[in-house]
Amino acid sequence: MSEPERPDTSADDRAPTRRRALMLGAVTASAVVSIRPALAQTAGSVLACEIPVPDAGRAGSYIADDGSVVPAGTQGAYPAPGRPFKGQEVKQALAGGQLPGTTWESNRAYVNYIRRLQRGQGGFTCFASLQMPRG
Amino acid sequence: MRHRFDVRIGPAGFRVGSDWRAPVEQLAALYSDYPKPENGVPDFTVRLTAPRPWRRWLRPSVAIAGDYMLPEAAPLPLRHGLLAAEMAMNLQMALGWRRHLLLHASAVEKDGRALVMSGESGAGKSTLAALLATRGWRLMGDEFALVHPRTGDVHAFPRLVSLKNESVAAMAAEVGEARWGPLLAGTPKGDIRHLVPGPAAIAAMDTPARPMLLVFPRFGFAPAVRTVPPSEAFVRLTQASTNYTALAEDGFKALHRLVAEVPSVAIDYPDGAAALALIDELVP
Amino acid sequence: MIYRAPPPSALLVEPLDAFTAVFHRPSGITHLLVPPAPQILAVLTEGLTREALMQRLAAEYDLADADPVALAARLEELVDAGLIRAE
Repeated sequence: MSEPERPDTSADDRAPTRRRALMLGAVTASAVVSIRPALAQTAGSVLACEIPVPDAGRAGSYIADDGSVVPAGTQGAYPAPGRPFKGQEVKQALAGGQLPGTTWESNRAYVNYIRRLQRGQGGFTCFASLQMPRG
Repeated sequence: MRHRFDVRIGPAGFRVGSDWRAPVEQLAALYSDYPKPENGVPDFTVRLTAPRPWRRWLRPSVAIAGDYMLPEAAPLPLRHGLLAAEMAMNLQMALGWRRHLLLHASAVEKDGRALVMSGESGAGKSTLAALLATRGWRLMGDEFALVHPRTGDVHAFPRLVSLKNESVAAMAAEVGEARWGPLLAGTPKGDIRHLVPGPAAIAAMDTPARPMLLVFPRFGFAPAVRTVPPSEAFVRLTQASTNYTALAEDGFKALHRLVAEVPSVAIDYPDGAAALALIDELVP
Repeated sequence: MIYRAPPPSALLVEPLDAFTAVFHRPSGITHLLVPPAPQILAVLTEGLTREALMQRLAAEYDLADADPVALAARLEELVDAGLIRAE
């Protein structure tokens, strides 16, 4: 299929056909936004949610200082806390408080674990809902 | 599961089973004027159970269970069992309802036209809806607005209105004591009381309405009104919908149609009176 | 490298003020696009190289900033979003 000839808007005497303007835009200004599913909204109205540390699939592992999950018994890492943390407890810890039953060091390890949660891991939805403004 | 209660709220029928009598008794009292599920067949089952056998009696705590679950939901003490039941029913709708596009929004109706007010928990949509219901509007729902994928109509889901903290006091002045549930003090979201929708709202729960205005309210700011362009409304509502993604093509078409055909405004308001004044100006 | 959009039947495209809402049927994902993305998507129903695409856009539109680097960035966004394929 061939493109029809379009008259140039410059030197021609006849009335030119104007093409619509189009800008390719700045390299850094994205032209595409993808909609992400919003499950955290639901969790936000399930007021009392829990975050297990670590998730059930890795129960028995230890948590290192930086929040990564390491084999049980690893030097310098902390055993998992005895129970999942409630949303309220985590919210306070994220605001500078301390998770119940922890030392300064183990608290830091657990909080780092929680901060690193990704979608699909146990506790992520609860964690995401805590970040929503106004509860 | 010894104790049981069935109820229909708008198009959704629920069956609630409980290990304890108290939450079911409270539900039955508050929902006493509501119909039962159509043909006795519920859409959703909710169970209020003890997380461990001894938790039925020892510091009793209520774990919620149903077809649709978020595994991270923590149990509540038995005195908040009514709240656990409400949360569980909400979760079934939010995760399981497919017949309409579900928006986290309150809705009120007048003359067959609906205001749909979208916001997260705490944005004021429940209180605003309850307030408008005392000013000649029919309450369609305080938490979920249902948009029909073919007609674009808004359908009602008039559950018990869940009010928190200061909103309770504000509405207590407007509504008689008979329509309130018990005070649930010290829940993770503060003090909560449930308000039963008025008889007009219950009687009309199967009557849909045409959406006329989409409102994005913000409580606690100086009064202001801003027109919201359709693209912004579209994005905000995808985030305010729990089933937009699951509805796929139908969700896309329904939402596009809604924002293209219905104007959107964002309103800021410092208190209920200011909100009512702003809405009076916006609605012909 | 040939860039190719899916056939029109694979997309639902609805303009919405400055944005265009696009539902990608194969993935079920919704995207919002601003120019030049919808225009590129429309032109690429025929697979084209980046150079050929630039020429086609310049012929159909009054292209104020015909910068190949910018076009490359736009193409990469569309590929990342899964809306076009690079072959």
